[in-house]
Amino acid sequence: MALVDLIDAERAPLLVAHLYENGDPGPIASALAQVPELCEVALPFLGASLGPGATGVRLKELVILRTSARLECRYCVAAHTAVALDVGLGLDEVHALRDDDDLDAAFADPRERALLAWIDAVATGRGPVPAGVTAAMRERFDDHEIVELTNCIGVTMLLNRFCTALDLPVGASVAERLTSEGFDIR
Amino acid sequence: MSVREAIEAGTLPDRVWIYSNYHCNLECAYCLTESSPRSRRRSLDAVSMIAVAHEAAELGFREIGVTGGEPFLRRDLAATIAAMAAILPVTVLTNATQFSGDRIAMTDPLVGLPVRLQISLDAPDPEPNDELRGPDNFAKVVDAVPRLVERGLRVRIATTVEPGRLSETDHRRLCELHRTWGIDDDDHLVRPVLREGRADATGMGARFERDQLPPELAVAEHGAFWSAFGPTIRGDVADTHLLITRTILPLATPASALLRLVEGRPQGADANIGIR
Ligand code: SF4
Repeated sequence: MALVDLIDAERAPLLVAHLYENGDPGPIASALAQVPELCEVALPFLGASLGPGATGVRLKELVILRTSARLECRYCVAAHTAVALDVGLGLDEVHALRDDDDLDAAFADPRERALLAWIDAVATGRGPVPAGVTAAMRERFDDHEIVELTNCIGVTMLLNRFCTALDLPVGASVAERLTSEGFDIR
Repeated sequence: MSVREAIEAGTLPDRVWIYSNYHCNLECAYCLTESSPRSRRRSLDAVSMIAVAHEAAELGFREIGVTGGEPFLRRDLAATIAAMAAILPVTVLTNATQFSGDRIAMTDPLVGLPVRLQISLDAPDPEPNDELRGPDNFAKVVDAVPRLVERGLRVRIATTVEPGRLSETDHRRLCELHRTWGIDDDDHLVRPVLREGRADATGMGARFERDQLPPELAVAEHGAFWSAFGPTIRGDVADTHLLITRTILPLATPASALLRLVEGRPQGADANIGIR
């Protein structure tokens, strides 16, 4: 059970009632709906930050799943294990991003390796990012890509702590699917 | 369109409601807020109430309504209303049961100010009134109202009834009663019970859609709502289906969100069900 009351369709506040038009909008939106004026600006921002962008869905999902695994967010790891598989990441890649398997063995592309090092440094480090990690990132990504991907890390961290602190429940269908595919719902 | 322009054009009503508190000495059968002596108080502090009045005036609103719960259970109520009435005219909804004997002196700070007390009286006889509003309610109201009028306070009578249930005879007798107190017909309103709060639990009142409620801005301790009938309580939990924003101050935040909602309404959706 979540720490806060997750607002259902019948009690949807006016500014965010449209979110419920196509059914349950999920626990993040249902929690944010407690503060409609925040919800109505936060969700488009979250969508723009985490959704498709100039860097493509593969890199975005790589960022979201890896960041969530490093921050040990049960909800986001489960939800984005499913999304990562849906957008075409391989099983070995998904296991590696979740820290079930070796990351170096699963990712050979130097661009993706630079990004993974960047994610780990940004999401778990304190103070400046180590110079070597920064240099590798600058060598392989344009400025706008660095901005988009770094924002994606930061927003994922926000959601990781939000979902973990509020103990948002992993949806039954996601849990069932992941279990059937051999994933551990941590 | 700004909030001020919307009020001037009649797109937004010109009154802001404030829920001062949710507890009440009564426990009426149809209470939208499930108020009772045991209710969570959910009091809005006096500084915030006065700030709402200030900002309402700045935004172009022209009147404040104060409701609850029973506002006069708050010791600071009269002084707070007096401070608000220096900014905008105020209507206070009260059950008038706190004014017996010398206690009527609590209304001293309101005499001579643009303040109107709206007092509930549901029938011209004690029995049907008290059945809904509690023992001796009729007697207390008919004792308090003329004494309030004598003190120079403007009083309005509100009769809340099951839709279609007030007979012509009872309506006429209620009007005869308020006229004897010097209260005009213009200051007597009859309104339907709405199916919210305790009325929902007791199966009373008319069901309604949001767009049947005038889009008056109503603020309570826990947020700002569409209409004075928005901040209701069900099973001790605050309803959110008419919640606009949790932010109440600055008042421009909920006021402009309300305007956006009103402007987004489909045309012809402004039919109302006679609620004032
Ligand atoms: S209807 Fe008014 S007087 Fe009756 S319980 Fe509710 S707040 Fe109190």
